[in-house]
Amino acid sequence: MEGCTLLGALSITTGVTDSITIVHGPSGCAHHNFSLIHATLQEFGSDSLPRIIATDLCEEEIIFGGEGALEEVIREASLLTPSCIYVLSTCIVDTIGDDLQAICRKDWELPVICIPTSGFLGGGFEKGVANALITLARQVDTDESEKSGIAVIGEKNLEFEVEENFHEVSRLLALFGEKVTLRFARKCCVNDIRLLSTVRLNILRESRLSTVGEELMKRFGSPYISSFPIGLEGTLEFLCMVGEMLGMDVREPVRKEQAHQQEMLVGFSDLEGERIRLERSTLDQRFVREVVEAVGLIASESGVRVPIPIPPPVGTTGLKRMLHRWRRAIHAWMR
Amino acid sequence: MRGCDNPLWPCAMAGAVSCLSGFGDLGVVIHGSSGCYFYPASILPRTVYGTQILEREVIFGSEERVKEVIRELEGRYALIALVTTCVPAVIGEDMQAMLREVNAVIVDAPGFLGSMETGYRIALEALKPRVDPGMEGVNIDGLNLMDPFFDGNLLEAKRLLISAVIPIATTFCAGSVEDVWRAGPLTLNLNPDLASGAGEETGSLLGLHETSGAFRRLERRFPDADVSSVLAEVERAEEKVAYACDKYLKRHDPPTAAIYGNFAYAVAVAQWLSEYLDATIAFIGSRNDPRESRFGVKRCPDLSMVKESLEGEKPDLILGSSYERSLAGEAAFVPITLPVRGQIRLRSRALIGPEGTLSLFEELLNALMNRKIGER
Repeated sequence: MEGCTLLGALSITTGVTDSITIVHGPSGCAHHNFSLIHATLQEFGSDSLPRIIATDLCEEEIIFGGEGALEEVIREASLLTPSCIYVLSTCIVDTIGDDLQAICRKDWELPVICIPTSGFLGGGFEKGVANALITLARQVDTDESEKSGIAVIGEKNLEFEVEENFHEVSRLLALFGEKVTLRFARKCCVNDIRLLSTVRLNILRESRLSTVGEELMKRFGSPYISSFPIGLEGTLEFLCMVGEMLGMDVREPVRKEQAHQQEMLVGFSDLEGERIRLERSTLDQRFVREVVEAVGLIASESGVRVPIPIPPPVGTTGLKRMLHRWRRAIHAWMR
Repeated sequence: MRGCDNPLWPCAMAGAVSCLSGFGDLGVVIHGSSGCYFYPASILPRTVYGTQILEREVIFGSEERVKEVIRELEGRYALIALVTTCVPAVIGEDMQAMLREVNAVIVDAPGFLGSMETGYRIALEALKPRVDPGMEGVNIDGLNLMDPFFDGNLLEAKRLLISAVIPIATTFCAGSVEDVWRAGPLTLNLNPDLASGAGEETGSLLGLHETSGAFRRLERRFPDADVSSVLAEVERAEEKVAYACDKYLKRHDPPTAAIYGNFAYAVAVAQWLSEYLDATIAFIGSRNDPRESRFGVKRCPDLSMVKESLEGEKPDLILGSSYERSLAGEAAFVPITLPVRGQIRLRSRALIGPEGTLSLFEELLNALMNRKIGER
């Protein structure tokens, strides 16, 4: 359950801190999504509030059309001097046929960018994320200057562990002495997005964003890694891909990470021989099989049910947190 | 301003779903997109269902999809309610004809019709509550599953009625939906913004005076009732609140308060603050349409209005939702309306009855004193 295209797109546009997002539809559509984004920010301990303005369509505009209302709200929003305005559509405005593209193309004093969303008419949450990322990337001009830096693309801004996952990727890049120079689109501003044209490498949050990776490669010539690292082997493979794409020696970073993984696993040696219950489909996931084997756990029908994170845990640190949860479940069961 | 800057209150559809989901034996199906489904499904502590229609259904009709979802629920609930969202409401399908052979009620509550209270009222009207003159007991009215005080208010109302040996008839909206058609002739309200209109209203439990007044009236209607323990409890609660507030005022100036929430709660809290703490009520922002009140109440459905009022009034005590808390700065904050995010809340909290008043003053006096400690 992830919400509609609108929420997917909003999860990206609200990550651009100096922008305003207009949701063209009834205020309920904006409220529901604002409320969910607010809930996530509060979980992170953040009091910041994304700027979302609804055109607040009522029965009359649904019948006679809402384009006038949108123009009026764009004018009002531009007085608040954002760097740009993103305009998102909802199911109902696509149904009644408002032409958002035409309104956004008018001669506004600042960039007014239409992102096709329109709830169920536009697809699901992931489609909204991809649409938003691609639309924002297309606003950036190509740049022939020397490539530098690394971008993280499409972090799941509504994910509870979003910052922890970012830190894990940053830790792994630091093994090469590299760091992330752009988070597209999280805590970034409109100007930062221009860096897309010059980064050496894009790291996608997950493989479902491959259309975004392809678009960036086609537009700016930057290669991409299709996902954050998953699993013990997957984390080492991630390091190898980073090294290969940046043209750097991978031997020392891989050796350090292997040692780090061994140290982490030793911390859970007390779990050796414990029985845990896993669905067959869960065991099909490589990171689960690897951890069960490395710790010496026994998968059994009579074992303790342990939580399997969805999406899968990121890197070695993600696996460590998963194992702490497994130990908690095993201890609770033993009581 | 034409636009609604960060709208703060759920739409009519969400209000309808919240109302209906209170009944445990009522299956609620949201007829609309995954997005319309996602919000109520993620915040309500009950299972709701969705047709999650796609473009195909909008173009070629949604009958098959609706029937498919409802068929899966048949036999599992006493009744099924189909709540229509914005798009199904405008594409003009004949929902009544579609559901002729099914035990289902259609609740036409698209979001664009208005706010949560509008949808709640539409949903209750669709259920067509009936009073059974022979039913013994008093109805509990005004419960909304989205309300952070839902569980606490329900427990408190039941506790007081049981203590007074007064039978409980229908609970709007909790328990069994079948009770909706055999409501008692008398009703006790917990949130006047959501009055069902079923039964003769005998008062509200929102406040100490209101609670004792309502129980005195009930005593006259139920010869076997014994309300003495409730009245004594209210009296003790009042003494406790008065003592704590008086002690606070020995060392501190009364707070200047800004209050945000649904109209009934916000005005009740303003009344209590004014009465017990001699507080200045700088601003009351109502999420829903305000009614007549001794306080000046403004409708305040979006964040820019909240910001504006806080910048203008500079209160040292703010009561509202976690949206207001995000803007509270150094002011003491107490949550009284949805959403309440960013804090762990496991126990049931009431706003009504003696426990509700005690709980609120405990929380707000502690918040004010913690703020004073922080200032030193």
